[in-house]
Amino acid sequence: MVRYILRRVLQFIPVFIGVTILLFTLRSIVPGDPIRMIAGEKSLAPEVYEQIVERNHLNEPIYIQYGYYMNDLLHGDLGTSYQRHTEVSKIFADRFPYTLQLALCAIAIEIIIGIATGIISAIKRYSFIDVLVTLSTSILVSVPVFWLGMLLQMFFGIYLKDLTGGTFSLPLSGAGGPISQFPNWMHYILPAITLASVSLAFTARIMRSQLLEVLNQDYIRTAFAKGLSKRAVIIKHALKNAMIPVITFIGIDFGAMMSGAILTETIFNWPGIGHEIYLAITQRDWPIVMGGVILIVVVVMIVNLITDISYALFDPRIRYGKKKGSE
Amino acid sequence: MAGAAAIGASALQGCGGGSSSGGGTPSGGAGGGDSKAGGTLAYYISQPAFIDPFDLQESEGTQVSSNLFDSLVDYDFVTGELVPAAAESWEISEDATVFTFKLREGAKFHNGDPVTAKDFKFGWERIVNPNTAPDPSAISYHLGMVKGFDELLSGGAKELSGVVALDDLTLEVTLTQAYADFIFVCMHPALCPVPTGGAAADYKTYSRAPIGNGPFKIKGEWVDDQYIQVERFDDYYGEKPLLDAVDFKIYQSPENAFNDFQAGNLDFTQIPPGQISAAVAEYGESADGWTVQPGKQCLLGEESSTYYLVINNNDPVLKDKGIRTAISYAINRQAICDTVFDGTRAPADGIIPPGIAGFHEGAWDTAVYDVEKAKAALSAAGFEGGEGIPTIKLSFNTGGGHEDIMQLIQADLAAIGIKAELNALEWAAYLDALQAGQIQIGRLGWIADYPIADNFAYALFYSESGDNNSKYNNPAVDAKILEARQITDTDARVKAYQDIDKLIAADVPVVPVMFYKHSRVGSQRLNDFFFGPNMIADLPKAWLTK
Amino acid sequence: MLAVKALDTIKQHKADQPNGQSGNNQGNDAAPTRTLWADALRRLLKNKMAVVAFFWIVFIVLVALSADLWVPYLLGSPTDIDTTLAAQNSKLPPSALHPFGTDNLGRDVMARVIYGARVSLSVGVIAVAISTTIGIVLGSLAAYFGGIWDTLIMRLTDVFMAFPYILFVIAMLAVLGPGFINVFIAIGLLGWTSIARVIRSAILQVKENDYISAAKALGASHLRIVVRHILPNSIASVVVYATMSIGSAILTESALSFLGLGIQPPTPSWGLMISEGQNFMVAAPWLMLCPGIAILTTVLAFTLLGDGLRDALDVKVTD
Repeated sequence: MVRYILRRVLQFIPVFIGVTILLFTLRSIVPGDPIRMIAGEKSLAPEVYEQIVERNHLNEPIYIQYGYYMNDLLHGDLGTSYQRHTEVSKIFADRFPYTLQLALCAIAIEIIIGIATGIISAIKRYSFIDVLVTLSTSILVSVPVFWLGMLLQMFFGIYLKDLTGGTFSLPLSGAGGPISQFPNWMHYILPAITLASVSLAFTARIMRSQLLEVLNQDYIRTAFAKGLSKRAVIIKHALKNAMIPVITFIGIDFGAMMSGAILTETIFNWPGIGHEIYLAITQRDWPIVMGGVILIVVVVMIVNLITDISYALFDPRIRYGKKKGSE
Repeated sequence: MAGAAAIGASALQGCGGGSSSGGGTPSGGAGGGDSKAGGTLAYYISQPAFIDPFDLQESEGTQVSSNLFDSLVDYDFVTGELVPAAAESWEISEDATVFTFKLREGAKFHNGDPVTAKDFKFGWERIVNPNTAPDPSAISYHLGMVKGFDELLSGGAKELSGVVALDDLTLEVTLTQAYADFIFVCMHPALCPVPTGGAAADYKTYSRAPIGNGPFKIKGEWVDDQYIQVERFDDYYGEKPLLDAVDFKIYQSPENAFNDFQAGNLDFTQIPPGQISAAVAEYGESADGWTVQPGKQCLLGEESSTYYLVINNNDPVLKDKGIRTAISYAINRQAICDTVFDGTRAPADGIIPPGIAGFHEGAWDTAVYDVEKAKAALSAAGFEGGEGIPTIKLSFNTGGGHEDIMQLIQADLAAIGIKAELNALEWAAYLDALQAGQIQIGRLGWIADYPIADNFAYALFYSESGDNNSKYNNPAVDAKILEARQITDTDARVKAYQDIDKLIAADVPVVPVMFYKHSRVGSQRLNDFFFGPNMIADLPKAWLTK
Repeated sequence: MLAVKALDTIKQHKADQPNGQSGNNQGNDAAPTRTLWADALRRLLKNKMAVVAFFWIVFIVLVALSADLWVPYLLGSPTDIDTTLAAQNSKLPPSALHPFGTDNLGRDVMARVIYGARVSLSVGVIAVAISTTIGIVLGSLAAYFGGIWDTLIMRLTDVFMAFPYILFVIAMLAVLGPGFINVFIAIGLLGWTSIARVIRSAILQVKENDYISAAKALGASHLRIVVRHILPNSIASVVVYATMSIGSAILTESALSFLGLGIQPPTPSWGLMISEGQNFMVAAPWLMLCPGIAILTTVLAFTLLGDGLRDALDVKVTD
């Protein structure tokens, strides 16, 4: 197991270097002068401009800049934002909890509702409820997330305002202030549902198809033939095997939520990292963009590793260190 | 929010407290017994970039910082006059190069240190000195005319030699060139004193919890994305605030804030676009557009900023004044204000907006919608019905409603026969193209740093100004601007700038489109709350109904 | 955007497991015959939802293609504005004259939705064509030649997949600048990774089959083997993934336009229309509802058709 983890970490190194090279390539070809952005519509005094360029090594060739950046990175320094004079690590230390909490809420919804509907739909195959689940999951994967978020805001925040007391349209950040009349968790409901919507539909679909496939296999048929009850077969045998791809998906999805939440964060003005990086791209604040992407890539790697390890808990057939999938 | 980014990118700046009377007898407001005193006001801002005067440039940080600090002088937007603030009096030399300020006796910083001329010198040097923070300040240009500026900025000198503390209460500022309006520069909220006693030694700490000389002091420190709390400073030299404290609550968007306002959690906020008429119906409109009183709570007064079309005066097609004139006549400004902004902008009839000394209605006679005159101007220029004019590119930055404005302008131009195509660019790419002179027609919003005509005439139209993006070059205008800068008599100077404005208007180097207006609302319990054209609230005067 | 990512991750997951359900089937079937496709068609026709979806797509395509012939006369121009009338025509609620109402500049929303279909459909088809081509080429190279080719291409895939997708597209558009063509390119250039993996794993299974060895023994060229023998065997999975990717490409385009980075005015795009309608959610909800429903139904049609094709071409599921 330890050797497996080590191997995975080593495998990650070239990907990580590839990502940093890709970032620097983008940085060198994206038009727009980050320093000019600092003063916005007003012009920056030439002397000040020169000084900022020099301090950030922006007058050096791009590979030298890469060298500086990687050297700082190895020392744990992600640099300082051009726009805000704030350390990138501090910015993300502030932002990351918001993203993480929202992702965890969404994942919880995804697991509970997604898996449950998937199972029900598979067991009651071809029933009315199955058709309903299939159709509604298809709709959920086809809806633009930002539009769904707006619909929810409109429905709960505006049309049902009197009923909900305006709770659902309230912002997160104001709640942290000195005056707040609603508990903090209320603010998570709509963004978490929005963020979870697509994923829970996929989870349900995968759960359903996997369960159907497993139920079709010989050993399950044998179990039925032995006269075990349907419930026992499904819980004891089928679910365990059918869960593996679902877990893979949820693991990957959690990683995707780290960055894929840009739209949800934008609609709900959630102060998360996706929104932060998006704004930084538009402002050409490269230290934030690079720090943010690197953060996401590392988090995704860790989550993937944990997912892989958790297979072992569900499928004893998978042994690490040996060739994967050998039975 | 994109709109806020575009507009907020360069900030509106001005004085602290629009109409605060200088000096005066300290009112008894702070004490008990007065029914007006007390209470905490909840005030919406979005996340500021800085609250430290070191790099104070955007509106959000300025709203906070202007209450923590007092600059030398202040400006009363109602009377249009300069009033004393940290300086009780000042003198300007005959040649408009030496400014001498007499500071108030007994004024204190929030940490108890006395406010001296040295603190002003330190505060100003702190902005220019490139080693104060990790990167130099972007706003040092305010002091660009002060003697010794270049030397300090380039790192060659240790001090700003043009700023001298003659004694504890006398500050002398020497400029490298005549500039009578420098007195207005001194009201900028960034040009305030910073305590020399070591309180600001660590940039990181100080920038999160600045210690100033203003009517309010910071409570704790700035909590990112959450709040900045300030409370009444009891040792303030001037009129003490009636409020006990102000909570600047940070929201991600005006929509969020407005919802919270409606839920009763905010006393002052922005009205989101599209909800203005509903808000006016519900909360009533302020009598003067700038002051909130119970029942008259919506502020729709003018702001000191102008939305205009930058025209590249060197462009082979647009260097023809006739075409520029036709374009200016062709634009239906009222339609833009009504359809895109729900009436929260006013059609601009000049480049200098209301609230600036020298503003007068109908300043630019070409800045009106008149299709017949537009067509006539085209014919006079030899392009009957737009015949012979190649397709013109209208460039703009994406987001912020500019798409809609540009589509309307495109339609207006089509109506007089000028074909135009839209060219949307990202903000960063747009700024690059703009400053490199690679656009034909673009857009900008100019927000005055100081309430003076020079901040328009010089900044936008002086041939060598860095903000002259239309590359306008008229030697007669250049000469007259430099002349006007030397006039020490205020009225004569304002008159001179109005003449310059006429000269510029005759050349139609740019096309004014709209003046910005407030779209803010206060709560039912808010009284005497003045929010001026410079987007700074006069908080010491405001009080809450209990 | 999550939809895109999620779809990607599913594909990725399936592609990661060569012995998983989807790759398996084509692999077991030696050579596809005419009957396989005929059977597939028969199965597809039995799937009511897929048939409805198919006809909906045909309907949208026809409406979009014929728009120039009737929309300007019946509904008005999707782009032209009369500024003197803009204020009074602004945000009119749906009526007989304007079935979907008018937008804030006084234009007919239905006309804009119809012309918006052109944008969405062309983005969907062209972007997917670009990414499928790149995916097929790189996937085939990796699988057929193996060795260093495989390592290089698969590491490149890893890097592309590790990079957060939506941020990548946004950064690409920052490079290219916003605009119609650039949206095709950005979405097309970045969407190839899943197809490449699918093709690779499909080919890897086919490659070991006897008839390939036989073709090799007969001295067929590499290109000929790939084009004549290997690709036809993988075509079924490519068709299914491409159909589903059209839906996600449309979603990506709408998201980019919503953020203001995609299609630029005056070209009507559904995402852009939603973003314009956002400010008037209360006063004029039709501004955001109509384009949103258009996106939803179009993408849903491609999703259902993709599902139908998958089931129809997937021997095992119907077995």
